[in-house]
Amino acid sequence: MSFALRDKVMLLVAVLLAAIYLFPLYWMYVTAIKTGSAMFASPPSFWPSDPQWGIYGFVWESRNVGRYLWNSLVIASGAVSLIVVLGTGCAYVLARYRNVWVDIGLFLILMLQVLPASLMITPIFVGFSQLGLLDYPRFAVILSIAAKSMPFFVVLVRATFMSVPMELEEAALVDGNSRFGAFFHIVLPLARNGILVSAILIFMQAFGEFVYSKSMIQAIEYQPASVGLNSFMGPNTNEWNNIMAYAAMYVTPILAIFVLLQRRIVSGLTSGALK
Amino acid sequence: MRKLLLSVSDGRGFDIGLVSVPLAFLFAMAGLPLIYNIVMSFQEVDMFSLGTFARPFVGFKNYITLFSLPETWPILRNTAVFVIASIAGQFTIGFALALFFWTGFPGSSWLRGLFLVSWVMPGLVVGAIWNWILSGDFGVLNYILREVGLVSGNIFWRSDPDFSLWAVVIANIWLGISFNMILLSVGLSAISQDLYEAAELDGANVVQRFFTITLPMMRSTIGAIIALGLIFTLQQFDLFAAITAGGPNNSSNVAQYWAWDMSFRQYDFAQGATISVIMIVFVMIASVVYVRSTRHEVRG
Repeated sequence: MSFALRDKVMLLVAVLLAAIYLFPLYWMYVTAIKTGSAMFASPPSFWPSDPQWGIYGFVWESRNVGRYLWNSLVIASGAVSLIVVLGTGCAYVLARYRNVWVDIGLFLILMLQVLPASLMITPIFVGFSQLGLLDYPRFAVILSIAAKSMPFFVVLVRATFMSVPMELEEAALVDGNSRFGAFFHIVLPLARNGILVSAILIFMQAFGEFVYSKSMIQAIEYQPASVGLNSFMGPNTNEWNNIMAYAAMYVTPILAIFVLLQRRIVSGLTSGALK
Repeated sequence: MRKLLLSVSDGRGFDIGLVSVPLAFLFAMAGLPLIYNIVMSFQEVDMFSLGTFARPFVGFKNYITLFSLPETWPILRNTAVFVIASIAGQFTIGFALALFFWTGFPGSSWLRGLFLVSWVMPGLVVGAIWNWILSGDFGVLNYILREVGLVSGNIFWRSDPDFSLWAVVIANIWLGISFNMILLSVGLSAISQDLYEAAELDGANVVQRFFTITLPMMRSTIGAIIALGLIFTLQQFDLFAAITAGGPNNSSNVAQYWAWDMSFRQYDFAQGATISVIMIVFVMIASVVYVRSTRHEVRG
């Protein structure tokens, strides 16, 4: 078998595998534009014969998707800002030094990264209700997400800072910069891309967050899209085309970011988990 | 005062300032709740004493009550089944895909990256899609299984107690495949090609090369990935909320969902805290394994 033919066969198999893997995503988009009867047809049709594009406008209005997405956006942006402001400096210090304290700090941060949100929510909820923080439910959720995701961000950004040569910073110090100046004018600009990709990763996670929002936000006008989707799916629901349309509107912006930044996101993810 | 300011802008104080604020934040938001969780598991907590710190201590009563509940052992068993089945499925399929893409062909790295879409999707969306795919009468999975001839009648994935846990396992395997595959690919690409060339010259076939080179060289990566899989599987909550909500009759309930259910559905915060404490101990053990297996890399 020639190499060109082998490549073509492998590529074909790979495309087939990817298609099988991504079928659930396709099924979401197809179901969303089916009519009520086509949805429950047996055998199901894998291609919508009579696409109902109007369903997006209908669900957007009737389920108030705009408000839900806005709340998700507020919560995710708040959490990411807090994480970037606090986590960047922490990652920098942990990358710059090599001693037993740094090792202990890293170990603690890695341990914090693994605590499941559904187990931490009980003490956080009780503590927040005693402090009165639950009166500002979105802020309470932002704080909890920040604490949950910051360790991951620190690990990712630390890997970025490790790749910035220390000589550059030392040269800036010799030239009369203060540590403060060297950090903001030399190190941060060099690490900008890594920080940006990590922030986007954290943003996508926070945009889909569910446990904290579900538990702490009672008022429907402050709930994010994940909680809205959950209350849309009752136990005996049969409006699957509407639910899939909702899900499609929720997930498409994230998918767009992912496709645009795929290469960077993949490399960012792998460096965080194994290095 | 001037000296302190100078230290903050241009000395040791700069580093300490940068690191102490986030660590204080993390301690307040993760360390304190952890301690508070343990304290609550030894207290009597109900809706009336929720707002006060002065709650009666009851010793190990919560733990004793917990283990006398009829659903406790089935739920712990479910948790074990969920974790083992999910990791086995994710790892096997992920490893097979990683090996396939590792052979290298035009477009392989781009197509491989496409799989990670599942990782960035909100858990609730993944759960909603699978809820619909797994639907009993109209689900597309039942249709495919019937057409292939694997089953004769419809399986009621979400409402049959024999299948409800497996419904979530299937969705969780789908979700985890991509992550396993990408991390295993990183490990595979780190193996030197010289080893394979040498083995090939010595006459080792593909299977022999896999077992004598690939697997031994991947040992620490595999350890780290399985530990990570354990951590992520024990964090899985959204799929339960979206597909079965632990039902029917706790047949698909697992400890991490149960802990939340206790606190926020049955308002028994003390029991919820008790389950959390037990599960956090398990997670901690898994994470120590993970940190140990990546330690040489963490230290660089």
